[in-house]
Amino acid sequence: MTATVESAESPAATHVDARPRSSRNLRHLALWAFTGVVGLFLLAPLLVVVLFSFNGIKSVSHLEGFSFHWYAKLWGNEVILRSLRQSLEISAVATAVGATIGTMLAFGLVRTRLGATRVVERLAALSILTPETAIAIALFYFFTVGLGLELSLLTVMVGHITFSGVFVMIVVRTRLLGVSEEVEEAALDLGAGPLTTIRLALLPQLWPAIAGASLFVFILSFDDFVTSYFTSGVGVTPLPVLIYGMVRLGVSPEINALGTSLMVVSILLSILAMSLIGWKRGRRS
Amino acid sequence: MRDRLAGISLLPLSSWLVAFFLVPLGMICAISLATTDLVGTPIFALEFSNYSALLDPLYVPVVIRTLAYAGAATALCILLGYPAAYTVARLGGRHRHAIILLIALPWFVDYLIRIYAWLAILGGNGLLNNVLHQLGLTNAAGLSFVGHSYTVILGLTYSYLPFMILTIYVAVDQMDPRVIEAGKDLYGGPWSTFFYVTLPTTLQGIVAGSLLVFLPALGDFATVQFLGGANQTMIGNLIVNDFSTVGNAPQAAAWTVVIIGSMVMVLVMASLVARIRRRGATHRIGSDVVLGGTG
Repeated sequence: MTATVESAESPAATHVDARPRSSRNLRHLALWAFTGVVGLFLLAPLLVVVLFSFNGIKSVSHLEGFSFHWYAKLWGNEVILRSLRQSLEISAVATAVGATIGTMLAFGLVRTRLGATRVVERLAALSILTPETAIAIALFYFFTVGLGLELSLLTVMVGHITFSGVFVMIVVRTRLLGVSEEVEEAALDLGAGPLTTIRLALLPQLWPAIAGASLFVFILSFDDFVTSYFTSGVGVTPLPVLIYGMVRLGVSPEINALGTSLMVVSILLSILAMSLIGWKRGRRS
Repeated sequence: MRDRLAGISLLPLSSWLVAFFLVPLGMICAISLATTDLVGTPIFALEFSNYSALLDPLYVPVVIRTLAYAGAATALCILLGYPAAYTVARLGGRHRHAIILLIALPWFVDYLIRIYAWLAILGGNGLLNNVLHQLGLTNAAGLSFVGHSYTVILGLTYSYLPFMILTIYVAVDQMDPRVIEAGKDLYGGPWSTFFYVTLPTTLQGIVAGSLLVFLPALGDFATVQFLGGANQTMIGNLIVNDFSTVGNAPQAAAWTVVIIGSMVMVLVMASLVARIRRRGATHRIGSDVVLGGTG
């Protein structure tokens, strides 16, 4: 399709495209209309959850009045607050450990020429492609049957660190590929030790990617249901597992309020993460 | 010196992946061949009977259904996602990144909340029934939208569509505009340019997106649980059932191995497609980003 024509980046296209403008505009209009429908399909359900979270009455199909009642109820609910605390603990640890070992692996993959890096890359890719249900239940049996452990916050954290580390690795690795080795070499030539070199020559260029990836991984971990479900035992109920239990009992305004709160936090953090990762800068070719 | 440092920094996450990914997967394969003792603890053996369920007329439809649902959701994601991603990438102008993130917003929303949103709309006392009733189209009892295969496919499509859109978007966005212009010189028409140039160049993005939809859909169980019924059971539901039943560990493990086996087959197929494509393609595209450069 002659899509390039409109964008200012390809002025040459105007000469090439000799067809009447109207047919092209019609095509563009059709494409945008379709995109609008897809956007509506994706956004409308979220909007329903948000709208009904402010409902004045206890109904999930009639809107009447406006209130923060359901939000107030959430804040008074000890069970939800306890789950929230546990989820925050899990995500904080998973993010910290994942960011550290993920960044290290990215550095190792980009800065060594060992044959083994190819194997490691494939292993990491496989770990994110494997259906989460399979990994999670494998971990469950590994912990309980294999190691004879009781499930706890720690087992959930271990499950989360795996995908957190791999995700950070992918983001940081992409960034590292765009960083030339010359600065590091110069620092080494000037007598800086390897650790100082990393700290002074590499980290300043990498930190936005690391911070962005960490934020993103924090959300992934905080929102993760499947791994949390299989690796959390008695007394451990991360928020998504709690929501699972609530949804099983049916639709309710409390879930709408809880869902809206999580949505707002996740979306704000994601926007921050995206701008840190340099979504815009990185894509300019 | 720095080389050694880089070498050492490979170790923590690689060993982590071996310990908490490869070893557990190996163990689940072993458990799938195990028997259980009186209290239901697996005893390692070479017992293939756990796989006999695969031939059981009761479970064969579940396997077929799982593949069919995941396949249908993937196809729908391509049909809905490609035009949308293409439009925004090529016509979105300066704000295209913002537009695509807006469209893909559900990606940032908790998975259960996404399913829940559809339950709130389609459920027995949900929004859609209420609207239909208000319009006088149905009686007070309403219609039952939950518990059909189309509801499950809808839920799966909704859950994983953002992955498809973002992956294809990156592929289209990274296309060299000159390639399209060359295509227009060669083929002229917008449709032939699309089919001979744009589509083949972005095929790896489609393949990567399809993996990101199909594979998680294979193991999905919450969608069926909330939007489907007993007639929509998928392999993931069998796993969850066996998981919570004492003594069924080997059976749960066998089902997990079935999912992993399906994944391996799909990955082999995807890499074959990618290999055929790569012969002609000269462009680094989306799948590299998604697959971490293994494509």
